[in-house]
Amino acid sequence: MMAIQIDGVVLKNHKIKSSYYLLELDCPVISSQAKPGQFVMLQISGLNYPLLRRPFSIYRSYPATHPRKSKRGHLFILYKKVGLGTEIMTAFQKGQKVNLIGPLGNGYTLPPLPSPSGVILIGGGVGIASLLPLAETLRDQKLFIFIGGRTKDDVLCEKEFGQGGRSKVFIATEDGSNGRKGTVISLFLSKMEQFHQNNTLYIYSCGPDGMLKALSKKLRSKEWSVQASLESRMGCGIGACWGCVIKTRDPQRPYQRVCKEGPVFNLKEIDWE
Amino acid sequence: MSSTPNPDLSTSIGKIRLKNPVIVASGTFGFGQEYEDFLDLNELGAIIPKGISLKPMVGNRPPRLFETEGGMINSIGLQNPGLNDFIKNKLPYFKIIQTHLIVNFFGNTESEYVELAKKLDGLPGVSGFEMNISCPNVKKGGMVFGTDPKMTFRLVQRVRRSTHLNLMVKLSPNVTDIALIAKSSADAGADAVSLVNTFKAMAINIHTRKPEIGNVTGGLSGPAIKPIALRMVWEVCKAVNIPVIGMGGITRAEDAIEYFLAGASAIQIGTANLVNPKTAIEVIDGIRRYLLQNRMTSIQKCIGLLKLKA
Repeated sequence: MMAIQIDGVVLKNHKIKSSYYLLELDCPVISSQAKPGQFVMLQISGLNYPLLRRPFSIYRSYPATHPRKSKRGHLFILYKKVGLGTEIMTAFQKGQKVNLIGPLGNGYTLPPLPSPSGVILIGGGVGIASLLPLAETLRDQKLFIFIGGRTKDDVLCEKEFGQGGRSKVFIATEDGSNGRKGTVISLFLSKMEQFHQNNTLYIYSCGPDGMLKALSKKLRSKEWSVQASLESRMGCGIGACWGCVIKTRDPQRPYQRVCKEGPVFNLKEIDWE
Repeated sequence: MSSTPNPDLSTSIGKIRLKNPVIVASGTFGFGQEYEDFLDLNELGAIIPKGISLKPMVGNRPPRLFETEGGMINSIGLQNPGLNDFIKNKLPYFKIIQTHLIVNFFGNTESEYVELAKKLDGLPGVSGFEMNISCPNVKKGGMVFGTDPKMTFRLVQRVRRSTHLNLMVKLSPNVTDIALIAKSSADAGADAVSLVNTFKAMAINIHTRKPEIGNVTGGLSGPAIKPIALRMVWEVCKAVNIPVIGMGGITRAEDAIEYFLAGASAIQIGTANLVNPKTAIEVIDGIRRYLLQNRMTSIQKCIGLLKLKA
């Protein structure tokens, strides 16, 4: 599959909650190809500051052939205002052109279907964004979705995930302002006995390093498949610069590129040091 | 309408002639193939893939990148698959590419440099070499060779005796007098020098109070370094009689023209490839437009045209 560099056109760009925003672009060339878990490199400015593109998970993508005409070719990015780059993005106006490269990375590998024991999705903060297209692809399966955030303002997509008739959403916040008080990982662990212990469980996760690290520690002894989408500072996003690597347990290839071999890795392969 | 002939963009960097003066820099262009989706590689003046060592290198611990104002600090640590893998798995791709392949290599010792030159010499598709004596991110070798004029001379001379192919030496800006190192390279028989590599740099996260780069320091590149790099290229152009290949912060044709006016025979594009994979093509088009607008029939008419008198 080919990655493409192309201008998308801003259709909408609005705040959805506290510091979280949703950018809707018209970009049929990329949206028609995107698979769950893939990302785009977005050019913030045509000037030299900020210099580098920023990687963003694809939150939603509707192919040019989508039955809903009003959504055809649309690509969505859910982002959090964290620094200069994302701050500039909040000012993107309708009609403005934004240069994108994508779709990039390997994306999630789907579980064997049907999946009678269910599929587990665990997302923290804005990390939940890459799990929504996966949930939509798996909408006919039984889904257990764990959403975590620091406070209720960081709990995203509660409604969107709840839309599938067969999915069950669990929420945790560190301050208890929405759902269970504590981390999303402790919430998940407390529910674990519900799941068929004898079956192989398929778990998909995306969130901050701390969350993935905690998950990795707890599941080390289990025979479960855990795919995790990682974040990293990226230079090119296309595998050329080797700037975004993470440490893995593979002695042959200790450093692997988040942009190329990832962003989705087998969580057990990651060496958190 | 009178038809204006297309300006001649070809330039010589020693023993090889490039169809245009725009080269993509080592470390920013992978092994070429990473960019095939985005531009026509055949249009480039030359391609310099990621630097190669005798044995594979795993590179430095992350984080390896940090963006600064108008630039970025990197500390990749010369991660590469090693010479054998390069020959077996990377080199064949270039057979179908109609442009010069300049192989960038580096060693930990003089003998390793010599061995690399010997083994790469004569391989089909290899037009010439860029020997890296200037990486700021590895402990042994690298920049050490490039900061002492005598060591530079000895090393370049030994490599020179091992190959007849075009030999370019990539210089470090982390020296007091870069012209001196350039002269040593020329005296030792280099066909060209390329400069600059990155500036040793660092950044600190004030919240964690840790360095932003896993290896503590890295090399600064991008638009932020252009004025210093340009000054160094100008100094080197005055000091040596071999072609000088300028680089440092070029993101558009105007930047490249500055380097030509300072005396560079060709330029390299590095960090900008990461930001916009089509940069090199856009720069080539922009150079052509500048020459047309200024009624110059060839790039050669532009090289060294800097006016110093009022």
